[in-house]
Amino acid sequence: MDTTGAGALIKALEDVGCEVIFGMPGGAILPAYDPLYDSKIRHVLVRHEQGAGHAAQGYAQATGRVGVCMATSGPGATNLVTPLADAYMDSVPIVAITGQVNRSVIGTDAFQEADIRSITLPITKHSYQVHDPADIPRVIAEAFQLAASGRPGPVLVDLPKDVLATATTYTPVKPAAQPRPVLSPVQIRNAAQLIGSSKRPVFYVGGGVIRSGAAPELRKLAEKTGIPVVTTLMARGAFPDSHPLHLGMPGMHGTVPAVAALQRADLLIALGTRFDDRVTGLLPEFAPHAAVIHADIDPAEISKNRKADVGIVGDCRDVMAALSAVITRKTDLAGWWNYLGGLLATYPLGYDWPTDGALAPQYVIERISKLTGPEAIYTAGVGQHQMWAAQFVKYERPGSFINSGGAGTMGFAVPAAMGAQAGAPDRTVWAIDGDGCFQMTNQELATCAAEGIPIKVAIINNGNLGMVRQWQTLFYEGRYSNTRLGTHQRHPDFVKLADALGCVGLRCESQSEVDGTILEAMAVRDRPVVVDFVVGQDAQVWPMVAAGTGNDEIMAARGIRPLFDEEE
Amino acid sequence: MTRHSLSLLLRNEPGALARIVVLFSSRGVDVESLSLAPAERGDLSRLDVVVDLQPGRTVVQLIKQLGRIVDVKSVVDRTHDEALELGA
Repeated sequence: MDTTGAGALIKALEDVGCEVIFGMPGGAILPAYDPLYDSKIRHVLVRHEQGAGHAAQGYAQATGRVGVCMATSGPGATNLVTPLADAYMDSVPIVAITGQVNRSVIGTDAFQEADIRSITLPITKHSYQVHDPADIPRVIAEAFQLAASGRPGPVLVDLPKDVLATATTYTPVKPAAQPRPVLSPVQIRNAAQLIGSSKRPVFYVGGGVIRSGAAPELRKLAEKTGIPVVTTLMARGAFPDSHPLHLGMPGMHGTVPAVAALQRADLLIALGTRFDDRVTGLLPEFAPHAAVIHADIDPAEISKNRKADVGIVGDCRDVMAALSAVITRKTDLAGWWNYLGGLLATYPLGYDWPTDGALAPQYVIERISKLTGPEAIYTAGVGQHQMWAAQFVKYERPGSFINSGGAGTMGFAVPAAMGAQAGAPDRTVWAIDGDGCFQMTNQELATCAAEGIPIKVAIINNGNLGMVRQWQTLFYEGRYSNTRLGTHQRHPDFVKLADALGCVGLRCESQSEVDGTILEAMAVRDRPVVVDFVVGQDAQVWPMVAAGTGNDEIMAARGIRPLFDEEE
Repeated sequence: MTRHSLSLLLRNEPGALARIVVLFSSRGVDVESLSLAPAERGDLSRLDVVVDLQPGRTVVQLIKQLGRIVDVKSVVDRTHDEALELGA
């Protein structure tokens, strides 16, 4: 087929099954937008390229497919840097397509030139700069395959404008399928033996279980063995919160039973997880009595932070299927469950109502979860509201919680919700956001309004950069340096802002209005809704393992250290 | 610090060397010497590099991280070979 580089790009994207691109045109990428005009691929015109990148991430995580974002050269491309870093940290499969200046002027500081390939080297799985339009079909096919295979991640394709404009012939390319790693039978047997002889085992489940689609295998293996499960921030939804074997989330703001299970375990069965510092706390004091089985598709993660006694390189789905096949019986875990059951009864997640009559943020999130249910998709920004969204929304299925775990990108919630809703139009999508985060990316609500993407945004408005304020309360003697945002003084007025952006704006300031306001938001189906939940500024996220301390020092609430004080 | 001598085969693709060097700098690996030469196969290059690792970082970990780079075909730890060649 005779075409141009741009025509080949769009045809190649169609051929790999791309159904939506989040992007914004500009000088260098302009040729690509002409054939896109006639394509069946939907293009969502964002208001800022960062929004395009996070939307691609939200789409990818809601659908399990590769998300695509597109931007022009120079600042358009550099605005994608944060989403690429975010996708790299959280192993999200996205392909970023950027325009570049003409080949003849690359390296001359031309107008809107940025060496985006070099800039993104440490935060992409791979990148291409195409110099021959005939290579475009192969590069796009490879980019999609690289993004989705093995440990997923972001891939950048940089396209000089003249390459897009040059005549070429389109030849379809099918890249050879990437085989999944073959499991070592010896390591599977060793793992099964450790599991069979352990007295206090725990499944330490990470986001890799969601990426590999292994939630059904996890449930089967957990029920077969009766071993307790903890799900990290990136794995919320990989195992149902309602399941009796589930102890909740471990880590800095994890539940006491989940943290205790890791600390007191004699065996960690770590699946698709990377022993992140937010989970381990002070590494030398992490799970001091435990042997470690570590299964991950990325060999570089095994024994990176904590030495594995049995390392298994493989897809979590295959690993758990193999373990299920060789493990024949339940071990007796009565003593272990007796201990954990005591902690579950004594230290459930909870919160206090503010004494000044203000609204409790945790209550708002709890009610959104209750009234919306587990079939919805929830996204979050970064900070206190994110932790409460991880704690107080009840997740029952993988892909229902989308947040920025590794990079911790404020402003993630709204564009990620936009991408998730575009990929899953039949689901309700709630962005649970903070008043600080919301002001970083809320321009994408204009995109949502214009494109008919009816997300719902709950701003947990505590008037401050809440998590930083919490640290200032706990570690800086209440010296609140630069954390007050003025959002309680209506700078800005979120209801008016929502209205100006083409959304329905609602406000809720008291407990009695919460359910009614949520139901009112749920009833709006034709445009986005923003609810300004004005909550108290002094609510804190508990439990907490303070940074730089060991997990044994977890505080269920300020000053209450159940594990540290417990008698062994 | 521990010293290691690594030998890599990489594809002659633009950015392949840059990606390796960036990995060294972002993971805190000190480079003592580095040389790049054409390999026997025309589409590959051979990179010999001597690196110093920070305490607590292992060469196995570094080799696995290098192995993740799409354009890296192979990584071999030649520290021991070199010692033999010197008769140590």
